[in-house]
Amino acid sequence: MRKDLVFGMAGSGGDGIVSAGDSLLQAASAEGYHGVMTKSFGSQIRGGESSCRVRISTDPVLNPGGNLDVAVALNWEDFLKFGAELPVAGTTVVIYEAATGVAENQIPLVGVTPLQVIAVPIAAMAKETAGTERAKNTVVLGLIAGWFGIGGEAVMKGISKKLAKKSQELVEANQKAFDSGVAFAKSHPLKADMTIVPSASKGAVKLLTDGNDMCAAAAIFAGCQFFGGYPITPSTEIMQFFTNHVWKYGGAVLQAEDEIAGIGAAVGASFAGKKAMTATSGPGLSLKSEMMGLASIAELPLVIVDVQRGGPSTGLPTKTEQSDLFAAAFSAHGDVIRPVLAPTSVADIFRTTVEAFNIAEYYQTPVIILSDQEIASRKETLDPIDTSQFKIIDRLKPTGSDLQDYKRFKQTENHISPISHPGMLGGTYLASGIEHVESGAPTNSGSVHARMNDKRIKKLDPLKDRKDLFEITGNPDAPLALVAWGSVAGVCREALQMAREQGLDVKLMVPYLLYPVAEQTYRDFFVSVQKGLVVEQSHLAQTFKVLRMHLDLPKGLQSLARSGANPFLPGEIVAALHQLLAELQRSHEGKLQPQE
Amino acid sequence: MSATCEFQAKDFKSDLKPIWCPGCGDYSVVQGIYRALAAIGRAPHEVAFISGIGCSSRIPGYTTAYGFNTVHGRALPIAQGIKLANPDLLVLAAGGDGDGFSIGGGHIAHLIRRNIDITYIVMDNQIYGLTKGQLSPTSQKGRTTCTSPYGSLENPVNPLLYVLAYGAGFVAQASPTDLAGMAATLEEAIRYPGFAFVNVQSPCVTYGEEAQQIKGLKAISESLAAIGHDPADRLAAMDLAQHYGSKMHLGVFYKNPEPPPTYDALIRERQAQLSQGAPPKERILDLFIKK
Ligand SMILES: Cc1ncc(C[n+]2csc(CCOP(=O)(O)OP(=O)(O)O)c2C)c(N)n1
Ligand code: SF4
Repeated sequence: MRKDLVFGMAGSGGDGIVSAGDSLLQAASAEGYHGVMTKSFGSQIRGGESSCRVRISTDPVLNPGGNLDVAVALNWEDFLKFGAELPVAGTTVVIYEAATGVAENQIPLVGVTPLQVIAVPIAAMAKETAGTERAKNTVVLGLIAGWFGIGGEAVMKGISKKLAKKSQELVEANQKAFDSGVAFAKSHPLKADMTIVPSASKGAVKLLTDGNDMCAAAAIFAGCQFFGGYPITPSTEIMQFFTNHVWKYGGAVLQAEDEIAGIGAAVGASFAGKKAMTATSGPGLSLKSEMMGLASIAELPLVIVDVQRGGPSTGLPTKTEQSDLFAAAFSAHGDVIRPVLAPTSVADIFRTTVEAFNIAEYYQTPVIILSDQEIASRKETLDPIDTSQFKIIDRLKPTGSDLQDYKRFKQTENHISPISHPGMLGGTYLASGIEHVESGAPTNSGSVHARMNDKRIKKLDPLKDRKDLFEITGNPDAPLALVAWGSVAGVCREALQMAREQGLDVKLMVPYLLYPVAEQTYRDFFVSVQKGLVVEQSHLAQTFKVLRMHLDLPKGLQSLARSGANPFLPGEIVAALHQLLAELQRSHEGKLQPQE
Repeated sequence: MSATCEFQAKDFKSDLKPIWCPGCGDYSVVQGIYRALAAIGRAPHEVAFISGIGCSSRIPGYTTAYGFNTVHGRALPIAQGIKLANPDLLVLAAGGDGDGFSIGGGHIAHLIRRNIDITYIVMDNQIYGLTKGQLSPTSQKGRTTCTSPYGSLENPVNPLLYVLAYGAGFVAQASPTDLAGMAATLEEAIRYPGFAFVNVQSPCVTYGEEAQQIKGLKAISESLAAIGHDPADRLAAMDLAQHYGSKMHLGVFYKNPEPPPTYDALIRERQAQLSQGAPPKERILDLFIKK
C-alpha cells in the first residue's frame, strides 16, 4: 500500500480529462486525503490538448510530485505534448486507450520501460455502458477506483450531484460507465500493489481551492474594497472571484478598458481611502508600471498581483515561469523600491495576500504579489485556516492635531505620514506624481527631491528585518544549501526531505519577501554555506542575479535555472546536491594534499 | 438653494500661485471653476479634483479641493476609481486636449458608456503647451508647429462630436470670452447626474495661434442659447458640433432630458441587494469547504 500517488492524464479538449481530475481530487478530499492538482493546456482554449496531474497523499503535499505513478493517455499524440510535465518512469503504470491501435509493447515512450502497460478499450466501454463516448472520463475514474482504491463512492457521489441537475438518466448512465471501469480493473490485476492507504482523517473538514480564488478571498478578508483590472491568463479568476463576492461587503469591481485604466481606478480608489488591488500577468504588468511609480511617489497603498506566465510578450500564456522578478522589482523610472512578495502554495497565498495589504497600508506603498501560473491554477486540499490569528492593518489616519496644519507628506521619525482622504474635513491636499514638499505643493527643488526619495525608500527598511518573511529549514549549520521561492519552493522542500533522508547535510531558504533584498538575513543564512543552489524557473537566473547585485554570495553558490513550463523534479535537485557534495569533498581532499 | 450661500468663489482658491504664463486661458478656467463650485455649495473637502499632465493639468493644485495631479492621459480612470470607491464625493476631472484626446483618448468612450457621474473639463488650446508647442489632436490640418514644420497632414479630432457620438449625456463648450457663461455652463455640468463633458477654449498665449487667442475666439463665438438651440435635441447638437474650429458655439450642446441611472448609483443598488444576509467576511473561506 502507498501513502502517496501521482496521477497524470492527458487527452483532447473534449475528453473531460481536467474535470476527471477535479472529481478525483474532490473525492480524495472528501475521503480525508491531502492533494494537489495542476492542469495544463495548449494555448488554444477549447479543442487542442489538455492534461492534469493529481497527487493524492495521506500527508500534506508540498508540490505536484515528480515522476508519475499512474499515466493515463486517451491518445498518445496529446499525451506526448506534455512530455516533461507528465514524466513517465520505470515505476509508472501506464493505462491507455486501446483504440489508439498501439500495441502494449510498442507504446511511444522513448527510453523508458514503465512498470506495467495496459491498453483499455475506454471509448468502447463508455459507448457500451453509457451510450456515449463522452463518458470516457467516468470510465477512467472507475479504473482508478478499482486499481488504486481511491475515489470510489465519493467520486460517484460528486458526479451524481453534478449530473442530477441535468437528468436522472445521465446519472445512471455514468454509474454504469463507472462500474465498468471498476470491473475491468478487478479482472486485470496490477503487477504491484498500488492501492493507497486509507486516510486516517476521513470526515475532517478540508478546504479545496486554487491559488487565484484563495488570493481574491484573502483580499476580501484583508478588507480590500476595490478591484480594477483587465482579463489576462492566468490571473483572470482573481477578478472573477472578487466580482462574485465583494459587493456583499460594500466593495466594487471594475473590468476596465485596459490594464492602465484598471490600475488607475485602483489608484483612485486608494486615494479615496479604500483598500484597492489589481491583478494581471506579464504583459499587463508592463502596462501598469507608470501607475506603480505614481502610487509610489503619491505614497498610496495598492496591491498588484502578477501571476507569472512564460514571457517575454505573449510568450507561454498558459504555462508557468518565474521570470517577472526583474519587472516586479525594477520596472519603474526613477529611484523607487516597492516590496515584492511571493507565495509558495495555495494555503500560503492567503497569508501572503493579507501581508501584502498590511504592508501596503502600513507603509503607504504599492506592493507586488508575484504569484505564478502553477500556484494560481492548481487546486489544493487544505486544512481550515484560523483567520482569527491574522492581524489586519489599516493606514495611519491623521488625528485632530495633525489636521490643525495638515501636511500630507510630513517628515516623521519612521518616515510614515498620516494620510487623509477626500471627504475628511481638514485633510485636503494635493496628491501628485510630481515631486512635492511636505504639504503636497509641487517643487522643482533638487534637495527636496533628494529628501523625499530618502523618505520613500527608507520607510521600507524595517521590512528587511522581518524574519517571519523567510522560512529556513534543515540543519542551520549545514554546508549545503538551497534557495527557492514561489512554486519552486514546494519542489525544494520535498528535495530537502529526500536529501536529508539520504544523509546529506543541507538546509533550505524560502523567501516570501523578494524585494527589497534582506541582505543581513541572507548573510546569516550563508555563513555556514560552502556549496548551494539557487533554483528558479528563469533563463536569465533573475533571482540569482538580484541576490548577487545586493550582497557577496558564497563562492560555492550556483544557479540552477531554466526557462519555465517544464517543472523541476525533487529528484533532479537531490542529484544536483549530490554532485555539489562530491565537488566539495574533492576540493577538501585537494586541500589535504601537501603543497609542492 | 440655501446651500449656495454657504461658499464663495474665494473659498475654493488655494494658496498656491499658478505657474502659467501671464495671459494663459487656464487662469480664466480656474476662475470659472471657483464660481461654479461655490454655486454648487459642496464643501471643498467633499470635492476630488483629478487631472493628468500638461499646463492645464496643474489646475487642481490651485483649488482647495482634494487634488490629484496624476500621469499623462490618465485622469479619467483614476477619477472613476475615486467615484466608485466613494460615490458621495463630487468628482471633477480636467486636463489638456493632448492629455484627453491623444494619450488618454481611449478612456473617454468607456467612462461615457459606464455613465459615471463625473464632470470632465478639457482645456482645449489646440497645442501641447507644457512640452513647448507640438501638434495636438485638435490642431487644425495644415498647422505648422515644431513637430509639423511643413504643416500638419492630420485631420483634427472634433472633441464635441467625439463625445456626442459615444453617447455622453451632457456636452457643452465654454470660453473665457464669456466668463459668466463659462461658470454657468460648468455649474450645469456638475449638477448633471451622469458623465458631463465641457470643452473649454483656453488660449495658449505662448504657443497658440492668432485665431485661438481671445480676440480670435470672440470673433467666431456664438451663444447656443441665443440662436435658440434646443439642448434636448441630440441630432441638432451633432449638426452644430460639425462647426468646431470655424464657429465657436458656446453653451450646452446636449443634455439628456431623461438621465439614465449612473454606474455609481447602480453599484450602490447592487451592494445593497447582495449584502443582505451575507456571511461576515471573516467567514469567506467557508466557500472553499467541500463536503
Ligand atoms: C507618458 C508621458 N508621455 C509624455 C509626457 C510629456 N508630456 C507632458 S504634457 C504633454 C502634452 C501637453 O499637452 P496638453 O495635454 O494639450 O496640455 P497643455 O500643456 O497644452 O495644457 C506631454 C506630451 C508625459 N509627461 N508622460
Ligand atoms: S505654455 Fe501655453 S498653455 Fe502653457 S501656461 Fe503658457 S500659455 Fe498656458
